[in-house]
Amino acid sequence: MTKFISVRSKSGSISCQLNKKTLYIFTILFLFSLLIFVISLSVGSSHIHPLAVIKHLFGYGSGEYDFTINTLRLPRVLLAFLVGSALGVSGLILQGIVRNPLASPDIIGITGGASVGAVIFIVYFVGAISIKLMPLAALLGATIVSIIVYSLSWKKGVTPIRLVLIGIGVAAAANAIVTMFIVLSDTFATTRAYLWLTGSLYGANLQDVLSMLPWVLIFIPVSLLFSRTMDVKELGDDVALGLGVNVQLQRLLLLFISVSLAGAAVAFAGGIGFVGLIAPHIARMLAGRSFAGLVPTSALIGGIIVMVADIVARTAFLPLDIPAGVFTSGIGAPFFIYLLYRNRNM
Amino acid sequence: MFTTYSLRRKWSFSLLAIFLSLVLALVGCGNQEAEGNEDADQTENNQEAENNQEDETNEEEQAAETENVRTIEHAMGTTEIDGTPERIVTLYQGANDAAIALGVTPVGIVESWIEQPVYKYLRDELSEVPIVGLETQPNLEEIAKLNPDLIIASKLRHEEVYDQLSQIAPTVSHETVFKYKETVELMGSAMNIEDKADEVLSAWDERVTDLSGKLEEKLGDQWPLNVSVLNFREDHARIYNTGFAGSILDELGFTRPENQQIDDAVTMLNDKESITEMNADVFYIFMDDSEAVQQTYEEWTNHPLWADLDAVKADQVYQVDLATWNMAGGILAANLMLDDIYDRFDLEK
Repeated sequence: MTKFISVRSKSGSISCQLNKKTLYIFTILFLFSLLIFVISLSVGSSHIHPLAVIKHLFGYGSGEYDFTINTLRLPRVLLAFLVGSALGVSGLILQGIVRNPLASPDIIGITGGASVGAVIFIVYFVGAISIKLMPLAALLGATIVSIIVYSLSWKKGVTPIRLVLIGIGVAAAANAIVTMFIVLSDTFATTRAYLWLTGSLYGANLQDVLSMLPWVLIFIPVSLLFSRTMDVKELGDDVALGLGVNVQLQRLLLLFISVSLAGAAVAFAGGIGFVGLIAPHIARMLAGRSFAGLVPTSALIGGIIVMVADIVARTAFLPLDIPAGVFTSGIGAPFFIYLLYRNRNM
Repeated sequence: MFTTYSLRRKWSFSLLAIFLSLVLALVGCGNQEAEGNEDADQTENNQEAENNQEDETNEEEQAAETENVRTIEHAMGTTEIDGTPERIVTLYQGANDAAIALGVTPVGIVESWIEQPVYKYLRDELSEVPIVGLETQPNLEEIAKLNPDLIIASKLRHEEVYDQLSQIAPTVSHETVFKYKETVELMGSAMNIEDKADEVLSAWDERVTDLSGKLEEKLGDQWPLNVSVLNFREDHARIYNTGFAGSILDELGFTRPENQQIDDAVTMLNDKESITEMNADVFYIFMDDSEAVQQTYEEWTNHPLWADLDAVKADQVYQVDLATWNMAGGILAANLMLDDIYDRFDLEK
């Protein structure tokens, strides 16, 4: 019995290797996220017994929880999971591309770009046009900033280190623009902008979930198709090039997937921080280094982190409903310091 | 190798295509949603029209109809309210305040910005009322649990949850949060106590006329006074050009220094050299009572330029209550502001 399972397409252009242990980990995480999912639906201002939740989900409920579960809790929990998994995978891809464990969508400017888009929307358009178009503004910001970062990093190809440095620079510029808008606008816009920047799942509805779902359902599986090259890239550009990987094109495509995932997540939930940084790390601790195994694991862990953060946000200070981003940052910031400490000799 | 490469190229195009179609889907959703709302409004109107037609055929029914179901137009559309609501949840400070002014105790309120959970001036009436969360993110489950029959919201704060709020109870929404008179009007018509609302507002008008008359009488040639509304923060100072306190001072007949007659709600002063911008005959200052803010205040007021300001020379610098002058934004707070001005000018109420 071998320790690895290999999956290969006929031409061999798509292939990956999975550690058997990863499958167990994945199963356990999957069950764990189901558990969190049920707990999420059962706690809140009024507690619903988990068994009643399960009965309700399978359509055997008496209908007394229709409003609380279907309208208020379910969209919020689902959106939390989708946002978390998108951020988790986005971070995983970025860390792979730049071969630096400290990379994340917050650091190379994706979140910053989205913030600029959202804050401009808040300052100039809220009230004038439907707030439901705000995710679009955020996504637009993320896309534009990513294009800027990529083109500025281009010098006969893009090297990871230049991508990171330019990304950090552009992110700083984006944050400066955000601060400028916040300072210049009136207090109502400021309050709202801060709320968005913290990141919150408050008021999520089914429409949000349905708009977010295709991003996750399309881009996460697509990222799996790049497993072979991602694994080779771990060895460095030169080795990958020698092994026949079109490094630049692959990097562009992967970056594109990463931006799409993070951009969509941020568009719907605001600047929820640190998930894209932590989730891949926890995944690597649990599931080794095979990219094909890390994608689903990071997705599940990201989803679990945001779901848990939102449970805490909704229930810890009842009757207050706090933005979930407060808690992801609360866990994330110490974790980031720990990473810096651990990597201090790198 | 070539096949792989062209495959990859196809890949990039298809990825881009997916991205663009998802973005378009997002645009579509936003628009559809907006159109959907309009449609809903329209069908409501149509229904109403039909109802009216029916009513014409049956006058008795018409009487019953107008008595029970009222259609309220507000910032988020139109809402039909049946009868006189009794369980009211108010979702912004000005509405918490206005409910009390209208003689109604809400069944749920939002937490105050300072002096949490309830502003001191409202504690007698509201300290027993359940809090449903923050004004920015009121807890929808808590609201639903209270089983309200009317929710008073603000478009500025609650636009994205308006649909969910409407599913809990009929929800009327004001455009902003600080227009205290409009809040009273809106709530009066939504709660079916328009007479009471008119009474509150005409009492207000009388007080304003009385106070501004007395100010003119007392100050003679000096009236109207130029006024500046100032606010000190941890690291800067602000001039409030418009807003809640500003609108009330305008109504009383106070004037503004020319440099403050602008549309920007707030002028930020980051440097003590711009102290001269504050100049006016009288200063009303509100600020947080934290140590850092007190220190800023000390620093700014000890600056040589401060002593040159007209209000300082005339000893017309007043520290006023942050809650009633700025944070509350309700009709009761506005009345307390008037009280404050009566007192400071030694006028009889």
